[in-house]
Amino acid sequence: MPVTRRRTALHPAVTRSTLARSLDRALLSLLVAGVLFALLQFALIPYGSPEAPILLLFPVDLLIYLAAGLLAWYRRPSNRLGPLILAAGGSVFLSGIGTTLPPLVPIAAVAATLPLALVVHLLHAFPSGRIRGRVSRTTVAAAYVTALLLQAPAYLFDPTGPAPQLSVADVPWGVAAGSAVQGIAGVAIMITTAVVLAHRLLVAHRDQRRVLVPLYGYGIVTVLFLPLSTHLLAPAFGLPSAIVGGLQLFAVTLVPIAIALGMLRGGFARTGELEELGTWLGASGAERPALTAALTSTLGDPSLEVWFWMPQRETYVDVQGDPVAEPSASARRGIEVVELDGRRIGAIVYDANIVGEAELVRTAGRVLAIALDRERLTAELMASRRALQFSRERLVGAADSERRRIAQDLHDSLQMQLVLLALEAQQLAKGADPSGAMAERATELRKGIDAAAAELRQIVHAVMPAALVERGLAAAVQDLADRMPIPTFVELESRTLPPAVESTAYFVVAEALTNAVKHSEATRISVRLAHRNDVLHVGVRDDGVGGALLNRGAGLRGIADRVDVLEGSITIESPPGGGTDIHAEVPCVL
Amino acid sequence: MRVVIGEDEALLRRGLHLLLEEGGFDVVASTGDAAGLEAAVEEHRPELVVTDIRMPPTHTDEGLVAAVGIRERYPGTGVMVLSQYVQRGYAVELLSGRNGGVGYLLKQRIAAVDTFLDDLRRVAAGGTALDPDVVAVMVARARLSDSAVGSLTPRQREVLALMAEGRSNAWIASALFLTEKAVVQHTSRIYDALDLPVDSDAHRRVLAVLRYLNRT
Repeated sequence: MPVTRRRTALHPAVTRSTLARSLDRALLSLLVAGVLFALLQFALIPYGSPEAPILLLFPVDLLIYLAAGLLAWYRRPSNRLGPLILAAGGSVFLSGIGTTLPPLVPIAAVAATLPLALVVHLLHAFPSGRIRGRVSRTTVAAAYVTALLLQAPAYLFDPTGPAPQLSVADVPWGVAAGSAVQGIAGVAIMITTAVVLAHRLLVAHRDQRRVLVPLYGYGIVTVLFLPLSTHLLAPAFGLPSAIVGGLQLFAVTLVPIAIALGMLRGGFARTGELEELGTWLGASGAERPALTAALTSTLGDPSLEVWFWMPQRETYVDVQGDPVAEPSASARRGIEVVELDGRRIGAIVYDANIVGEAELVRTAGRVLAIALDRERLTAELMASRRALQFSRERLVGAADSERRRIAQDLHDSLQMQLVLLALEAQQLAKGADPSGAMAERATELRKGIDAAAAELRQIVHAVMPAALVERGLAAAVQDLADRMPIPTFVELESRTLPPAVESTAYFVVAEALTNAVKHSEATRISVRLAHRNDVLHVGVRDDGVGGALLNRGAGLRGIADRVDVLEGSITIESPPGGGTDIHAEVPCVL
Repeated sequence: MRVVIGEDEALLRRGLHLLLEEGGFDVVASTGDAAGLEAAVEEHRPELVVTDIRMPPTHTDEGLVAAVGIRERYPGTGVMVLSQYVQRGYAVELLSGRNGGVGYLLKQRIAAVDTFLDDLRRVAAGGTALDPDVVAVMVARARLSDSAVGSLTPRQREVLALMAEGRSNAWIASALFLTEKAVVQHTSRIYDALDLPVDSDAHRRVLAVLRYLNRT
């Protein structure tokens, strides 16, 4: 089946799959059904009665829960929060339906306190949709028991109570005892919930707190208000139970609004589905957002990271190829290892508070394994390429300092000794009988030493020219040009440069000039050094026969390699008969 | 004649010292770095300074910089710069400024003791002494770009080079196995070819030749 790609404004690169669009339609149906129910309830309200304002709250409530629930469901299809909010809305609807539709009174009696249990459930499950921790699980279970089981005596043992149809016996003490136990359990549950929420707020990250504050803050107020209003406010101010019920209902109404507020403050962006991840995999390279971005958008966790496993180094690296320390999975940070053909290839590190289900991450990992392996190889390649570049730079740097050291050593030791030896030989000649053979031989010895010194001078110059060491690039290039057997014109912009750049540029010019002398038959050469935006431009141009090639001969090739190591570039234009133009650009950021 | 020596290699400094003392010079100070050299010149006001180029602390061009500075500040002091390698650029730099009283030689030339001492005396007397290597570079370069130099005969170019080194006619004559009269003939032809004004002063004549050779 062809996958249609439609770009949405919010997530331009993530496409909606057919399954997701099917979900959209299902949610739309729920919306229509919910609105119809609410309208029905509106229609059935006896507007003349004094209870009408309170009764109005029920359908209003339903609409608010419906809106919040559908929004959550749409944004997080895999999160249970949406269905849970809708269930809470449904329970409010059920608990209120008896007042307006008398035949349904038994249902309303059974579900009378169910909304409170669902509100407790919602508070504990926000924002991941799952209940985490034993305290939370116990509290939520206790809330359902209290709302459903402990409610039973109220309608089972009271023939004059809310639902006479359900009454099986008249046991007034049973009703009283049930109500008392339910009240105490309710207070305990509410206080536990308040403490749990307060603790979670306390330990949350700053960004997370932004999302949690509206609901948790309001939740704490609500869960404390509910038992207080029943057990303290009502007796103290003598409020009728209808008013207390109305106030409680109103408080519960605001819960989904707080949830919606939390969602709109971020951290609850719409996530795609795993199927969309598959669609993303099929998309062409250019359209594809980074792997991490795709996963973030699917799982809805902005803090999500993708790590790649480097088997040789037995470590994880991040997308930049930098090693990361492997943390143990904690309550907050979940880590899911991704394998391909039984090999570990990477890991997805996520926020366990936001992504509730590890299984979801695992599945996403399986879907993405191949892509992840490919990106892992890319990261590995980048890391080794960087390592290679560093080692090349070190090699060139080491070779340069070695050249400088050798030249300096020869200058300080051998060259000086040859001066002294020649001096010694000359003193011998002077001391000897001027007419004898001794004087002549001593003079010959001195001249021999001078010749050796001249040769040594050439060697030292080839290793590292004195002008380069003493005065820098421009002086050294000037000296090269001075010694050229072909008229050579220079245009030299002098500037302090890093040693590696100086020697590289010098050897470029030296090699280019050597080639020109050997092969070009040129009658004129020009050399130019210029600086533009921290880049040194080296140009050597002749009017010779052309036909020079970068790949011919070791000389130019070696020079090109050196330039390449410094992340510069070198080009040769040498058409047959059209002269040769060698141009190198070397970055020289100090 | 009072001399100050600047040379960082102790053995060579000592060798120079002995050599100069034997040659009749009075070595008033010898130092191993440029700062010490300038201080000694300030203190002793010598007739001659003999200095190396590479010296502490950076072992680059401090000796050359000191030499140029001394030439500017002490007109009566001749400056002889010694180096393991000679280049035209440094020679031009040394020759600029005041006229004469400057030398630039390879260190290896020290061994030809008599010639070296002769060069030192000439520099101290306001003349010039340039190394044959650096003069060869100058002449070869001028020959490429200047048709007048190119038109000289090989023998004339030989004489031109020796003139540029700062040699006297008598010295040139003995070196080339010519009569002094023949040398004079050669020099006047060279002057005609290069269109240089006739000057009776030997030092000024040399400087005119050097200026001509380094015109561009």
